[in-house]
Amino acid sequence: MNLKPQTNSPPPIEVRSLRKVFRQTTSGQSVVAIDRLDLTIAPKEVVAIVGQTGCGKSTFFDLAIGLDAPTEGTIRIGDKSPYGDFDYFRGKIATVFQQDRLLPWRSALDNAKLPLELIGLPEAEQRERALTWLNRLGLSQFTNAYPHELSGGMRQRVAIARAFSVQPEILLADEAFGHLDEVTAAELRETFLALARECGSTAILITHQLEEAIGVGDRIVVFGKSAKLLADIHVAQWPKPKHALLREAIQSTLQNDKPDPRLAV
Amino acid sequence: MPPEEHIPAPVPVPDLIFPRQTLVSLLVFAICWEALSHLAPYLGIPPFAIPSLLRIAKSVADITPLDVAVTLARVIGALIVSFVLGVAAAMAMYRSPTLDDYLHPMIRILMAVPVVSWILFAVLWFPGVEFRIGFVLVVVCGPVFLVDSLDAMRSVPRELRHMMQSFRPTTLQYFIKLMLPAIVPSIFTSWKVNISLAIRVVTIAELVGAVTGIGHQLSVAQELFSVADVFAWTLVLVVLLFLLEAIVARAEKRLLRWRP
Repeated sequence: MNLKPQTNSPPPIEVRSLRKVFRQTTSGQSVVAIDRLDLTIAPKEVVAIVGQTGCGKSTFFDLAIGLDAPTEGTIRIGDKSPYGDFDYFRGKIATVFQQDRLLPWRSALDNAKLPLELIGLPEAEQRERALTWLNRLGLSQFTNAYPHELSGGMRQRVAIARAFSVQPEILLADEAFGHLDEVTAAELRETFLALARECGSTAILITHQLEEAIGVGDRIVVFGKSAKLLADIHVAQWPKPKHALLREAIQSTLQNDKPDPRLAV
Repeated sequence: MPPEEHIPAPVPVPDLIFPRQTLVSLLVFAICWEALSHLAPYLGIPPFAIPSLLRIAKSVADITPLDVAVTLARVIGALIVSFVLGVAAAMAMYRSPTLDDYLHPMIRILMAVPVVSWILFAVLWFPGVEFRIGFVLVVVCGPVFLVDSLDAMRSVPRELRHMMQSFRPTTLQYFIKLMLPAIVPSIFTSWKVNISLAIRVVTIAELVGAVTGIGHQLSVAQELFSVADVFAWTLVLVVLLFLLEAIVARAEKRLLRWRP
């Protein structure tokens, strides 16, 4: 089975005046996780969102996949809301998490098939597509292995195969390679990126690692506290010899929680 | 891409063995019992109180398979009904916190009522013997399945629930693909607890009013002052319990083979 790129371009993602406030159960105090965020992500763009721990990256991830509702403002994917039109995005949005989150009672093949079962594909097609993706990720020998029989890197590959199996329009990865050793993480990042481009998906990678953000994204969005947009960088404008400078500028932005003059938003 | 990294070696699962110590302790008990049965007249104990092993063996040989089958059918039937109702109610309560708020106190009250009270209620409320026994078994075992399943559903890791929701399952898919497989280990524990509970409860329920089943035969043996018969029927109950537990353990081993 050949990998078919998206025939239709995925819709753009538009975030307007997004605000998310949580109320703490014990103290009753309100915590602003995201404060008036505006962001547009073009179709097929690969965007890395980088920010320090607690800056609202994961809250943004939950809002973008539609598992939580904004307090104010909107996130639209095309003309739909991932939260309000939840079912519409079945098979259109896929996720890779920091931990593999494989179902321990399912083999690698059955885990990769899961999203295909949910969209109701015929069994033979589910199997064929899941096997194709597992093969692409170098797991053809391990399709019947249970998660506990696989190494951390292999489990994360199964999780990537599971996300790609539906050939989603939008792919979101939340610190998906952060817990792996450097060699495995770099290898998986490269594979993830190549597959996302091949699939024609829009990809959003949330990370706190600058190297990952610089190495993967077409664009790097830097979040400050409460997801304040500190910098929006098109990596192509910073060719490889300037990467050290770019890293330095992002680092300074994150440390000072204000845009470095070298990075104009 | 070639697979790298170390693959953990599978952990060997030891086969179930019948320990020698068990055989030795049973043998010692049998010898002591036999000795006591011969010494009983000299100790002032009536001879019928401690029958010889040969007399017990005769009683075992006289066991009527129909009574065993009837009790077994009652236990299995009631456990299946309890399981289905318990898990279905747990799913509904998991899905609806309001329903949980209303039903939880009722379940706690149900679980606090003694078995004997349930038997008396059943005798007073229902005319049919089978319905009475079934009612008592379901009302005692059902809440165990319910509470265990509900607790297990609530213990499904947030990460897995989050992952599953991100792929947008329907409510039915969410339960079938995530919740039910996730609670299987807990369901097996409930079955083991409930088999033992059901065997004891069915015996008491059959003592009152039933004209078939092991409980009824125990009642007859008591009326005849036949300790040998009581011993034989009790032995049948114990063997039945072990057999059912062995079947559940086998199913558990098969269905939970994914566990490290």
